Amino acid sequence: MQWMRILFSRCAAFFRRGRLDREFEEELRAHIDLATAENCARGMSPGEARSAALRSFGGLTPIREDYRARRGLPWLDQAARDVRLALRGLRKSPGFTLTALLTLAFGIGAVTSVFSVVDAVLLKPFAFPDPQRLLVLREAVDDSSAGHAAIPVNYRHFLRIKQQSHAIEDAAIFHQRGVSVFAEGEHPQIVGCVTASPNLFHVLGVEPILGRGFTESDARKGAARVVLLSYSAWQSFFAGDPDAIGKQLRLGGEPSIVIGVLPAGLKFPHIALAPKIPFAETASGAQLFQPLIPSDLDLKADMGNFNYRAIARLTPGATLAQASAELNALQESYSLSAHLPFRFGIALTPLAQDVASGVSGALWLLFAAVAAVLLIACVNLASLQLARAVNAERQTAVCAALGAGRLQLLQSRLAESLLLALAGGAAGAALAFAGVRLFLAFVPASVPRIDEVRVNIPVLLFAAGISILSAFAFGALPALRSLRVHPVSALHSIRIANTRHALAARNLMVSIQVACTIVLLIVTSLALRSFSHLMRQARGFETSHVTLAQVDLFAPQYGDNRGDAAKALRSQVIDRLLSALGQLPGVRSAAVTSVAPLTGETWVDNLFRPDHPVTPGKEPAVNVRWIDPAYLPTLHIPLLAGRNLAPSDRAAPAVALISERTARDGFPGENPIGHVIVNLIPGDSRPIRIVGIVADGRINGLKDDARMVYLPYWAYPPYTLSFLVRSSRPSDAIAPDIRRAIWHADPQLAIPALKSMDDQVSDSVATDRFQATLLASFGIAALLLALLGIYGVLAYSVSLRTQEFGVRIALGSGKRALVRLVLYQAARPVFFGTFAGLLAAAVLLRSLRSLFYRPPSFDSLAIGASVVLLLLAATLAAILPARRAASVDPIRALRID
Amino acid sequence: MSTGTTGDRKSAVLQGTLDLMVLKTLESMGSLHGYAIARRIEQVSAGSLAMNQGTIYPALLRLEQRGWIKGAWGLSEAKRRARFYSLTRIGKKRIERETQDWERIAATMSRFLEPSN
Repeated sequence: MQWMRILFSRCAAFFRRGRLDREFEEELRAHIDLATAENCARGMSPGEARSAALRSFGGLTPIREDYRARRGLPWLDQAARDVRLALRGLRKSPGFTLTALLTLAFGIGAVTSVFSVVDAVLLKPFAFPDPQRLLVLREAVDDSSAGHAAIPVNYRHFLRIKQQSHAIEDAAIFHQRGVSVFAEGEHPQIVGCVTASPNLFHVLGVEPILGRGFTESDARKGAARVVLLSYSAWQSFFAGDPDAIGKQLRLGGEPSIVIGVLPAGLKFPHIALAPKIPFAETASGAQLFQPLIPSDLDLKADMGNFNYRAIARLTPGATLAQASAELNALQESYSLSAHLPFRFGIALTPLAQDVASGVSGALWLLFAAVAAVLLIACVNLASLQLARAVNAERQTAVCAALGAGRLQLLQSRLAESLLLALAGGAAGAALAFAGVRLFLAFVPASVPRIDEVRVNIPVLLFAAGISILSAFAFGALPALRSLRVHPVSALHSIRIANTRHALAARNLMVSIQVACTIVLLIVTSLALRSFSHLMRQARGFETSHVTLAQVDLFAPQYGDNRGDAAKALRSQVIDRLLSALGQLPGVRSAAVTSVAPLTGETWVDNLFRPDHPVTPGKEPAVNVRWIDPAYLPTLHIPLLAGRNLAPSDRAAPAVALISERTARDGFPGENPIGHVIVNLIPGDSRPIRIVGIVADGRINGLKDDARMVYLPYWAYPPYTLSFLVRSSRPSDAIAPDIRRAIWHADPQLAIPALKSMDDQVSDSVATDRFQATLLASFGIAALLLALLGIYGVLAYSVSLRTQEFGVRIALGSGKRALVRLVLYQAARPVFFGTFAGLLAAAVLLRSLRSLFYRPPSFDSLAIGASVVLLLLAATLAAILPARRAASVDPIRALRID
Repeated sequence: MSTGTTGDRKSAVLQGTLDLMVLKTLESMGSLHGYAIARRIEQVSAGSLAMNQGTIYPALLRLEQRGWIKGAWGLSEAKRRARFYSLTRIGKKRIERETQDWERIAATMSRFLEPSN
């Protein structure tokens, strides 16, 4: 307690130091006066009395200093003095101050902006209680081609695991899709909807703020349809009306009763169906929640219907490894006892890791790149500070000679850097607000949790931390150098003694800069090359002049439970739509497919050949698409053998087209045409005859050429439709016509997306483009900074050596020789840095390779181009100082000093 | 504050002595100004202490910061304005403990200094 009293007293004294100083002086005077008076009384003369009083007092000054050091907060006094001095120093060199402030503001602003994204997407825990106990649960199978693959969950398997596991406290199963919401007199709107087992919010630990959550009876067969609203859905569909509970919302054409509203802070995490299937939800995030009523198929099928996502909560105290071991053992013993053709396992991933898995590598890379740019900027500032320190050497020496302590000297030199960094950091944090907005304008919407990105307290703390770190990065070396100054050198008139040392330090900085820049340039060129390869490689289909219109048939009249009647209805509406779209002005052809191009692998099934059975489970997996005869010509997909689907196939038994890869893997060494496959049409086991082979294409994603099987839509009319319209008119012009035509056929149809196929292509690679663009801008920034850095060092060293150059010229040295001398001086650190950078890149690229699309193992072009670019920049930076060196006037140079 | 206390401990004996002298002086004489305290200590020690009078002030500050003594401006017998120090309640309580501490140290020291045979 005593130290607190002392600290308090010291703090209080610090703020009253002016008055206390005066009082202490008064007290000292009183002491001397009283002593003098007593001495006089003893018979001394006034002069004698006073000097005797002073003598017995001891030195006044040491006592004053001792007293002051004990009374207030002397280090704060010192700091305030340092700040004042630093401010004065910075005012004296406005050019440096402005450069440093701008560099730091932009550098710290950029790093902070990227960090705010990293923070929201990768670091911030989910706002659920104990989020680290939440796991994403998937099944795992040994796939012959892909090794151990995680797949979506089967309902029966899930139920068994949930009942038997001890390491899992609770688990919920759900699926997520866009559902059409009908409002009176309007066209439907597509909203993200999660259909989940009633315990979902118990697993997450979330309570509704209004109404009630799900109960087990909500999920019983025949229960009234109910819906829980997210806060934003409550706002948009009911304007936040508290009486919304009990009202109806028409989902997919069927009325559902609103039973509750979830808290505003709830963000339902984006959990991909399987790691290989990219998140391609049409609606942004889940807004509506409905209880999952399992179908008969869900409850019966052990080997199919792997349609679900699942989220589990670990029992307190259990570890991921324990849960994984337990669940895998359960799955495996069941696979054996039930004689399943596969040995199923379980793949568990922590929720946060799973949600970020697609982007974490790319984001960390961007963060590292922007941090490298800041590092290069700091090296630049360090070299400027070093120059200032050398210039201020005489002043430092004078201070040292007058008795300033080493720590004091260090502190006052660092104060300047800290001041700059904090001011720059504050400006940077302000810039980050704009930077984040800019970032969000470019960042692909598919990045999970991107809507949570903002500049908040942790981000600002990060900015402050990074500012202080940069202050030390660019201030420490110059400050430490000032310690080396010998007080005696204050007496020397010419300060050349330390310059060679300073030059060595600055050459080292150039090397570091060059090395960082080389690494950044190589990574950038790799990203650009990989991206351009992605965009320019053959796709196997043609998108220009094609418009994509997605239509959903989730409405009661098209529904499953009406059987063949609904099937016929779906088929009819597709026919109607195709003919309506084909008749629009300027349209050359209109086609339909069940899955929008470039939205990943979906509807994956196994290729069963009755004539050539293989070990169960070893059949090749294929993507099934339901198309019409116009599909191939509309997308310009070549037919390699056999024939296309034809309208005349409608009456005949089912036929199919397969892609080259399917032919290669499913019919090795055979001609597949005329062969029969089975079990691809739901609820229909009749044989399907293969009539044609189409060329491979990257129709599921530009990075992906999957095995495809195309079936005619009339064999099983799909619920999700993607119409492809090839027309002579641009997409913008024809889109309104398309929308009108669709709603003319059925005003209750939902249109989740309507855009040009070119946009669809570019949206599908948005993450790659974003990464390439950002890396390229960081690379350019690094190159410019390196250029400035090299120029700065050379220009400064030339200015220091003016006299020497004058002497050389006077002694008959040619201008070319001088230029060569300066260039040679520049070359050493540049070459050394290039070499170090290449080494670092070689090590780094090994781990970065997986972040890019098909990077070559040794990209000589990317590396060569980066080195050439850097050397060009370095030469550019060196030429100006070299020419200045050559044009030194010997007479004037020798006259200095 | 840990560095502060280790710093104090290094010179604890010396500082403690002066602090205790000041406390005892104020205990017996009541309220005194700095010069009077210094003179009193000189008189009591009868010249056996080589002490600058000035060193009394850091000691007074230290005791004041701890809350053991308090200072107030007043007038001396010669009508000179001076700062008078007196013991606080805490200070009065502390004297006993400080005295015991010092006696223990002194006893320990004297045991070392006694002839060992």
